[in-house]
Amino acid sequence: MLEDSLSASTPVVTESGGRQIFAGLRVLDLSRWVSGEFCTKHFGDFGADVIKVEKPGEGSLTRRLGPFPDDVPDREKSALFLHLNINKRSISLDFSSATGRELLLRIAAKADLIVESFRPGTLERHDLGPEVLHTLNPRVVITRISAFGQTGRYRDYEATGLVLQAMGGPMNATGAADRPPHRKPGFLEHYTIGRMAAEASLAGLFAVRKSGRGAVVDVSGMEVLLAGADRRAPYLLTAAYAGVNAPRGVRSPHRGGSTFAGAFQCRDGYVVMYVTNPEFWSRFVDLVGEDNQEFRSTYRTRFDFDSAEEASKFEETARTWFARHSKFEVMQRAQAARIPLTAVFDIGEVFENPHFRERGFFVRAEHPMAGALEYLGPPWRMRGGWQLRHTAPLLGADTMPILEELGLDLNAAQSLRGEGVI
Amino acid sequence: MGLNAAANDGGAPLQGVRVVDLTVVWSGPGATMLLGDLGAEVIRVEAINRSSRGVSARVPGQPVVGREYAGYGFADRDPGDRPYDRSPIFNWHARNKLSVSMPLDVPEGRAAFLRLIERSDVLIENNTKDVLPKLRLDFDTLSRVNPRLIVARMPALGLTGPMSHYRGYGPNFNSLVGIQAMDGYADGDLMKAGENYHMDEATPADAAFAVMAALWDREKTGRGQLIEFAQAENVIQDIGEQVIGYQMNHRIPQPIGNADPVIFQDVFPTRDPNTWVAISIRDDDDWRALEAVVGRQDWLELGGTVVLRMKNADEIKQRLAEFTADKNIDEIVSWFQRTHIPAGEVMSELRVLKDPHLADRKWFQVRSHPRVGTHAYPGHPWRADGIELVWGRPVPAFGEDNEYVYKQLLGYTESEYQQLLASGLVSDKQLA
Repeated sequence: MLEDSLSASTPVVTESGGRQIFAGLRVLDLSRWVSGEFCTKHFGDFGADVIKVEKPGEGSLTRRLGPFPDDVPDREKSALFLHLNINKRSISLDFSSATGRELLLRIAAKADLIVESFRPGTLERHDLGPEVLHTLNPRVVITRISAFGQTGRYRDYEATGLVLQAMGGPMNATGAADRPPHRKPGFLEHYTIGRMAAEASLAGLFAVRKSGRGAVVDVSGMEVLLAGADRRAPYLLTAAYAGVNAPRGVRSPHRGGSTFAGAFQCRDGYVVMYVTNPEFWSRFVDLVGEDNQEFRSTYRTRFDFDSAEEASKFEETARTWFARHSKFEVMQRAQAARIPLTAVFDIGEVFENPHFRERGFFVRAEHPMAGALEYLGPPWRMRGGWQLRHTAPLLGADTMPILEELGLDLNAAQSLRGEGVI
Repeated sequence: MGLNAAANDGGAPLQGVRVVDLTVVWSGPGATMLLGDLGAEVIRVEAINRSSRGVSARVPGQPVVGREYAGYGFADRDPGDRPYDRSPIFNWHARNKLSVSMPLDVPEGRAAFLRLIERSDVLIENNTKDVLPKLRLDFDTLSRVNPRLIVARMPALGLTGPMSHYRGYGPNFNSLVGIQAMDGYADGDLMKAGENYHMDEATPADAAFAVMAALWDREKTGRGQLIEFAQAENVIQDIGEQVIGYQMNHRIPQPIGNADPVIFQDVFPTRDPNTWVAISIRDDDDWRALEAVVGRQDWLELGGTVVLRMKNADEIKQRLAEFTADKNIDEIVSWFQRTHIPAGEVMSELRVLKDPHLADRKWFQVRSHPRVGTHAYPGHPWRADGIELVWGRPVPAFGEDNEYVYKQLLGYTESEYQQLLASGLVSDKQLA
């Protein structure tokens, strides 16, 4: 379905202006899920022309997931899609048809980067595998994102974020000792995989520059998570070095004696503390023992408790102190004392927070269907960097201009539309 | 020629790029690891009087109560007389990196450092925001020495704003951007959730991406630049849908444990102790496929639609747990996967080490170093045809590359170098 009755997304002028780093780079986005769309967002937000190919009448899978305004599903108003697809263009195109495939190849012929996240073997079944694409465009980087990689015995396994976290992430060591393993919230694992795919893709563009030959990147979600700095990689190396598994229910188990970390309940919410060395420890003991000279002198320089009972007695003193104060008060006093401790903010508190407001981090922009919303600003700041040029595209909003760029005339395009190809 | 250059035939994408590495802890070192994988020559500048590897030179005594795991964490459980060369806290990210001992707070060290800056492409650091200015190594100073230099700084909350001086680690900043508040068992007690290290997970790939973007830009403009990488503003991208969703409905997302708004899922016990299987029922097709695994059961009526599955979630979980509780994990996974229902073991590290799929893909890399021995190391996060990845030396011992850096790279004469060693300012032993 072609929705040319609606105008393309409204261009937004941002104050930073100027030529962006990836201006002139062309990216073909065949992905339909968080990881692939987050990968291509890295290029679009920094200036590349990202063409998103979406199934006519259906569009990307991320359009189906919310949040939605008033919880009413609407593929043009998915917060997930709106977030992941700013600065991209959308062509609705069914490449399972011969004509559609032909059009896809014409876009691919001009692309610097192609990103896909179908199940392994899908592109090949459409006769759109890397050999075909490289014959047509020998310098293109093809980034293939999948749950378990393009080879190996789990290649065709089905996965969700939970299954990926179970097999790849540090889930076995996350949660309470006496409860089942606990996953990270939201889509965090898919974002992790997507940004690693972006890093790989850019490395590929450098490699092509050097060699003049294209590349095929195999991103296995499981392996990305296994290599993670969220402690999974060091835990794996600990197992290889010493034959032990990381325990569940011990906060920062890899840290030695002077460690006191985790979430603690205050009067009105939580704080997160990360005391990991003797200096932080002494400051922390002084703070929570402010009314207790004996506690301070006992523990100021001592953290190797004689027994589990003594450790839990120490923790009880700390908990009691936290529970007496508000989370803001605890954070301010701890930061003044140079202790790594922060309040747990919910999304609302983040959105209103003066720090992010003063930095101009949230950027307001108008979307033709979803209206005015504030989007997340630059993930990092640099010359020629992030801009919000326009909001996410309506499904197929850029079909006609893209076909024109491919050299199709209006009549040919109209007949494709009749055939349901676009 | 640096070590990396010697270790490959010259085709790696960032070969010829020299990175000065002042990173500490997790996120920064993870980023320079990725740059080293791509062939950059990453030189860790380390001080003898700081434990910048996160590992003290003091040989630990008996593990303290509740922290036994940390006590085991050395190669072959032996800290040796150089624990800082043998700890996984440092060694997981140390591949391909060079180590030079260089004190930045004395004139001799500063002079050497500026000479290194002159000959480098990138400086990367993730300290609190006042560390570089205090050392009089602000961007303007560095840029005057080398206008092509790219400086990536990663203060978690940025260089400006009322909280920018806050100190903390990954879990702290996750809590300031709304991620921690979503993370917990469904009863909402965050104290039981364990720590969320997602910011440390998020930074490395994007910091490496940002540095490469600046290199890409430099090829056109000929100029270096300052990258302000506020790690909190990067990791919050990962819950962007919640930030936009909040504006739509003013609803605060709550912890939901292993559950999902539309997928029925959880982890279930198996026959063996602390061995769990994660199972997801994504849609009605998955539910229908379930019969082939569990057989004909009355309780299959409980979950024919997504609405039913959410409503009867507790009872379905109980039934599935009864099914899995007396069975072998490998059998459970293969039965579910055969019917195309997503399922996988919650893998312990020792289980991952012997995983046959990873063996098929030759993921682990076995490497040796005289100070550490021979071990399997976690592999690269991705692989490619047409992009060369480097895996040279697994670990630099502290100060292992002093001679290369001072003499070959910076042009110190033998006697000048010997003088630095004699003065005690440069050493191959960490003292802190």
